[in-house]
Amino acid sequence: MVATHVLPAAAFAALAGQADDPNAIRIVHEAQLSKHLMLIHAIAEAANGHDRGPVAFRAARELFARLQAADPEAAAWLLGLPQLGGWAHDCLIHFEQGSAADFGHFACAVAAAAVRAGFRFELDVPMRDGRVRLPGLGYLTASGSSPWIRLHCDGDRVTGGDHFEADWRQLVPDDGSGGAVPLWSGTPMLRAVTDGFACSALLETDDPYLDRYSLPMSKDLSPEEIQRWRDRFQRAWEVLVRHHRWAAEPIAAGISVVVPLTPHSDTDLVSATTPAAFGAIATSWPPDPVTLAETLVHEYQHVKLCGLMDMVPLVESGGARVYAPWRQDPRPAGGLLQGIYAHLGIVRFWAAQRHAETDPDEILRAHAHFARWRPAIHLAVQTLLDTGCLTPDGMQFAELLRNQGRELASGSVPAEADSIAREVALDHWLTWQLRHVATDPATVAELADAYRNGGPRPGRLRSTTIIGEDVRKVGSAIRSRLLSMRYLAPARFRELRADDIIPLSEPDRLLLADRTDTAIEAYRDLIACSPDPEPDAWIGLGLALHRLAASRCQPAFTTSLALMFDVHTLMRQHIDPLDLADWFA
Amino acid sequence: MATSQEKGIDTVIPDLRDIPVDRLAVLGSSVLANSIALYRERLKENGIPLSSFQARI
Repeated sequence: MVATHVLPAAAFAALAGQADDPNAIRIVHEAQLSKHLMLIHAIAEAANGHDRGPVAFRAARELFARLQAADPEAAAWLLGLPQLGGWAHDCLIHFEQGSAADFGHFACAVAAAAVRAGFRFELDVPMRDGRVRLPGLGYLTASGSSPWIRLHCDGDRVTGGDHFEADWRQLVPDDGSGGAVPLWSGTPMLRAVTDGFACSALLETDDPYLDRYSLPMSKDLSPEEIQRWRDRFQRAWEVLVRHHRWAAEPIAAGISVVVPLTPHSDTDLVSATTPAAFGAIATSWPPDPVTLAETLVHEYQHVKLCGLMDMVPLVESGGARVYAPWRQDPRPAGGLLQGIYAHLGIVRFWAAQRHAETDPDEILRAHAHFARWRPAIHLAVQTLLDTGCLTPDGMQFAELLRNQGRELASGSVPAEADSIAREVALDHWLTWQLRHVATDPATVAELADAYRNGGPRPGRLRSTTIIGEDVRKVGSAIRSRLLSMRYLAPARFRELRADDIIPLSEPDRLLLADRTDTAIEAYRDLIACSPDPEPDAWIGLGLALHRLAASRCQPAFTTSLALMFDVHTLMRQHIDPLDLADWFA
Repeated sequence: MATSQEKGIDTVIPDLRDIPVDRLAVLGSSVLANSIALYRERLKENGIPLSSFQARI
């Protein structure tokens, strides 16, 4: 009889509380090994017939069984590979879609484990693009037209077909120390050591089953590019060890693969994690060591939560999509939970980093990051609880996250950083409202009639919080970028503002120049006089108003911007938006 | 599945740590079958396209 893994309550609480609890991490990691074994079993049930793929899979499974018996550590190494998870995930998706899975790749994975252990074996493995891939180690370049090659290890030498031979001890990842083996390309290894603490991860640039992110993997990096990654990883590790020890050691234990991504633009920073490949994170080139350190903290949070959610369902399927303060699109409850968990790590990171920086711009950046995300946790947890999509364990977890957010909420922030962070958060929320909150046409008409007739705003309205995807087109991305640039890249922002070459509307230019009163008048004129709806100006007006002392109009923007905008658009008259906002208030 | 402070949480992952891969087929375990079914159900719900992980979570 098979039992299930049990997660002790203390480990569950430790995972929610960001405590550095090696036992909790160990339990999650062990469950992943079981998960991968479970998936291999699921794949085995479908690996029938006499095609070479299923035949190779079955042979590999037999070899794996021998390896399990003779060398449990080698078997556990294989089961812990994110590359194995990525492949297994791919097979199951193929099963769901009724298409052909790559059974044969399992032979590559098992061969990798056997080679790494110097285990005697003989196995046919597939060759693709002239390469025989050994996940977690590297690949050997093969010749010939056959799509299969026989690998053999006699406990000392590994041979591949009739052209490759090497000592198994040399078939290792490439840590940059040299020792090249003809026809062998070790997967680049990132290795960092600081103050006696070491961290290493594979820079995976070849495995097709980890090239599954929303951006493509950066393949075939040059030696210079690989060295840049090594240098940056080392510097980021220094940041983590010296200022974020709570995160450093778990990251060293939990992240085994970094997948470099190619972004759409050089200035984009994109990072990602998938539940399919526990232990792997993906990121585009980080512009500085602190950013990479933050990315490692951020993505490791996702890795942990993916592992936990594999074990314990925290969220029911279905449910409405809702606002997440870090995303432009509406998110399902599971995505929001992931974001909250990741941002708890981010808040904790910046809470410490703001005291580690010495450059004024970097200090501003760190404080503003902290101030930007600190209040977002509480709001997002409440939104999550309100979805009604959490399981009882999920609700308990969310409450633990909220408590954690409260504990991080203390600490003062310099006024400039706080003010920038608040405005960027407000810009995000106002923009999101206009993009994604749909309104009820009957309600809009009712309100427009009441306003035209000079009556009070009707007290009871139909529900106005229907969330959709991009219900209105909003084009204020440049303004939003500049608002964020004030803390993300202060020097660059100062340059751009001095040059005055940014394609902004006149009201936006006034807003960015901190001429708030003039900007408000310009936004009012634009909205009132334009023959077309001006969603960007409405957002700008909301931002400008919030720079002033509290007023009756402000809540209308934060609670009812989409409705107010649609009412104004329907009336198509020269109506002062502030009069309408006052009426809404 | 029940949560209790004393016992902890029974997860949905079968504990296969000490089980040889070639024994899985003869276990006849409903726990294993149920866990696989649950996992496949989650894949369907997530609607992950073949060419992509569910990235940017």
